[in-house]
Amino acid sequence: MKKQIRNLFILDVLVAGLVLFVACKHRSAKPEVEATDEHGQTLMSAVHVADPRAAVQLTKGFYDVEQNAWRWTMKQFSVVLRAPEGASKNGATLQMKFSVPNPVIDKLKAITLSVSVNGQALPAETYTRPGEYILKRDVPREVFHGEAVNVDFALDKAMPPSGADLRELGIVVNTVGLEPK
Amino acid sequence: MKPAIRAAYWVLPSLLCLGIYWLGLKTWFWQDDFAWLSLHLRLKQTGQWWAVLFAPMAQGTIRPLSERAFFLVFYELFGLNAAPYRMMVFATQCANLVLLSAVTRRFTGSSVAGLLAPIFWLVNIALARPMSWNSAYNQILCAFFMLLALYCALRHQQTGHKWFAAAEWISFLAGLSALETMVVYPVLALLHAFCLARQRVAKTLWMFPVAITYAAVHWYVTPEGPSGQYRMHFDAGLLSSLWTYWQWALGVMRMAEITTGWPRWLAPVGTAILSASLLGFAAWKLLHKNWLAGFFLGWFLVVLAPVLPLREHLSEYYLTIPVVGLSMLGAWAVAESLRGRWRWKVVSIAVAAAYVVPSLSATRAATRWYYENALGVRTLVRGVARAHQLHPDKLILLTGVNDDLFWTGIADRPFRLVGAKDVYLAPGSEGNITERPGLGIVSDFVLPPGPALRALEEDRAVVYAVGGLRLVNVTAAYRILARQRWSPSEEPRHVDVGNPLFAKQLGLTWHQIEGAYRWMPRRASLHLGGPSSPNELLYISGYCPAEQVRDGPLKLTVTVEGHVYPPVLLKRGNAPFEVSFPLPPNLVGKPRIEIGLEVDRTFMPSSDSRNLGLVFGTFSIR
Repeated sequence: MKKQIRNLFILDVLVAGLVLFVACKHRSAKPEVEATDEHGQTLMSAVHVADPRAAVQLTKGFYDVEQNAWRWTMKQFSVVLRAPEGASKNGATLQMKFSVPNPVIDKLKAITLSVSVNGQALPAETYTRPGEYILKRDVPREVFHGEAVNVDFALDKAMPPSGADLRELGIVVNTVGLEPK
Repeated sequence: MKPAIRAAYWVLPSLLCLGIYWLGLKTWFWQDDFAWLSLHLRLKQTGQWWAVLFAPMAQGTIRPLSERAFFLVFYELFGLNAAPYRMMVFATQCANLVLLSAVTRRFTGSSVAGLLAPIFWLVNIALARPMSWNSAYNQILCAFFMLLALYCALRHQQTGHKWFAAAEWISFLAGLSALETMVVYPVLALLHAFCLARQRVAKTLWMFPVAITYAAVHWYVTPEGPSGQYRMHFDAGLLSSLWTYWQWALGVMRMAEITTGWPRWLAPVGTAILSASLLGFAAWKLLHKNWLAGFFLGWFLVVLAPVLPLREHLSEYYLTIPVVGLSMLGAWAVAESLRGRWRWKVVSIAVAAAYVVPSLSATRAATRWYYENALGVRTLVRGVARAHQLHPDKLILLTGVNDDLFWTGIADRPFRLVGAKDVYLAPGSEGNITERPGLGIVSDFVLPPGPALRALEEDRAVVYAVGGLRLVNVTAAYRILARQRWSPSEEPRHVDVGNPLFAKQLGLTWHQIEGAYRWMPRRASLHLGGPSSPNELLYISGYCPAEQVRDGPLKLTVTVEGHVYPPVLLKRGNAPFEVSFPLPPNLVGKPRIEIGLEVDRTFMPSSDSRNLGLVFGTFSIR
């Protein structure tokens, strides 16, 4: 057995030596790099929250992408959107596709979603049933005084962290955007 | 045994190791790896190889072989190619498996136990991290020296050859340079001698003075004793920690914590069955005066003992070496029962399966998690390397960095390894990251809004979104977003005086930037944005030169908006300092506050015509 162990150690050392030798051949003075996407688009008027290019516009309150399709939000969440063409003259329509999952209604019974654009509050809405929704709100032209606007959402309640999920959970959002009128 | 079967017997655990931890073999660098990989930079700066190898670092640890030499040599040979590092870890672990097999076989006289012990060890969740993380090589290397020392002790006991006694000593001493845990080896050797080889008791006692001296020196040179989550607690909490580690070691509980879809009763029931089986077997053996069971259980307790007082830092990989004892005990129990009646065979196989299946499930899940996290880190670091190649004169801002990526990929400052020094998180990123005291301060990595906007407007910065398969340059979008959200006149609440981006926050008296810091003369000033809540403090970090404390402590007086604080006495020369001050409540929400600094003396080096006071790094309100 002593001989076998010795042989295995020798094998081990040889393997390690071979690894070192082979890897030495690949030592490069320059760091290895991975290509970057240099063509990230400019600010968008409408974003799909799962699009990695849009992540920069999700400024607050969004968790990581799930199922390559959607993100959970926190109790408060915000996006920055480019003002659509003609918005400073005609205003625009804010549209958000989202869903209120079953556990949220089971636990909280009802949730109220408030929204403001550049600080101007728009009518809130209360949801008492789970399901998919589209929130549409007219945004007056007065709020558009730059290239972009802050859109802030706030829920009156959110699911607190629990054993199954340590995150504070609000709703599940797919897309948010401003459409020209 | 036929030669082919004999070869398979010894090689099988290593093949299983490759199968179970295949992803671990491919895992890139993460977390502390970057700190160790940066050692060569420190060596270049100071030229003091002995300090780089032996000075206490990371909670006062000194592990020259498993951390310092390992990373220095491998970085010199392979740079940021992770594969050779991983192969070295795996090669050492394969040697461990052979040693464990040989040791168990010798202890128990059973080939079956010799085969099962390394398998039981391999599947344990404790090994997931060491087999996926280069910084935990210390565990694997220490296990190697401990098993080798024990093997030599056994061979010395059996053959009487002095060479084995010398090899045991060499392994013991080498193990001390791998991990502090090796300091318990004399206790293990004594336990072994008491249980199984009384004639060796006197010989093992010679190791104690060495272990005690090592522990004393280690304690003495550690600058400020363990702090934060590494503070030691010697109270009844030790039992609670022991119970937690025991449950983790048996696998079922950890599986229920890590993976989903298991019924709730499974973890406590599984733990109870495994505990009863293992302890019942040990008790039965002890009743028959077979003290080997006591040695195996003692191994678990003795090797775990040094980490039990760290009740705020329970880590499953601390079990890496302790579970060797339980693996040997479990393997022996199964081997014994396989010699018995058929019902014992069925029971032992079922109990072994109750350990192996959940443990393997948890281990595989953990290994995949480490692999995927490290993959994200690799994309980030290599992407930043490419961005730096494309925009060498610009600072790089990162958006979309989440909590995991920050703590595994950014907090240990990996970008200096690819030559990119000016890399920051975009303003507001700290909202996505949870503070972890003791591991780093998130705001130190975030560029405040004012300087970020200025850099973007002056085309001195590029912004990359992180989180997809590659980094995406989103500078154009971010510039608009930044204009929308911030004002260039917004005062940062964090100032790095060694960074030219913050020069507008500094008063006129500061000296020019040198490297990543600035000297102040006798007096200096700067301004910051006011605190956002009355609980926030002003933190100041800097470096005190030896010349300034040669004639006694240096007085540093700080004023905030005219409020003078009692002077801080700096007593240690050639040492960094960090001080903090509560802020008056009336400053909350103020857009700008003035900070004044004054030292009670300056000095003028022979090669410099300037009056020098202190060196500063950062000022922040948080």
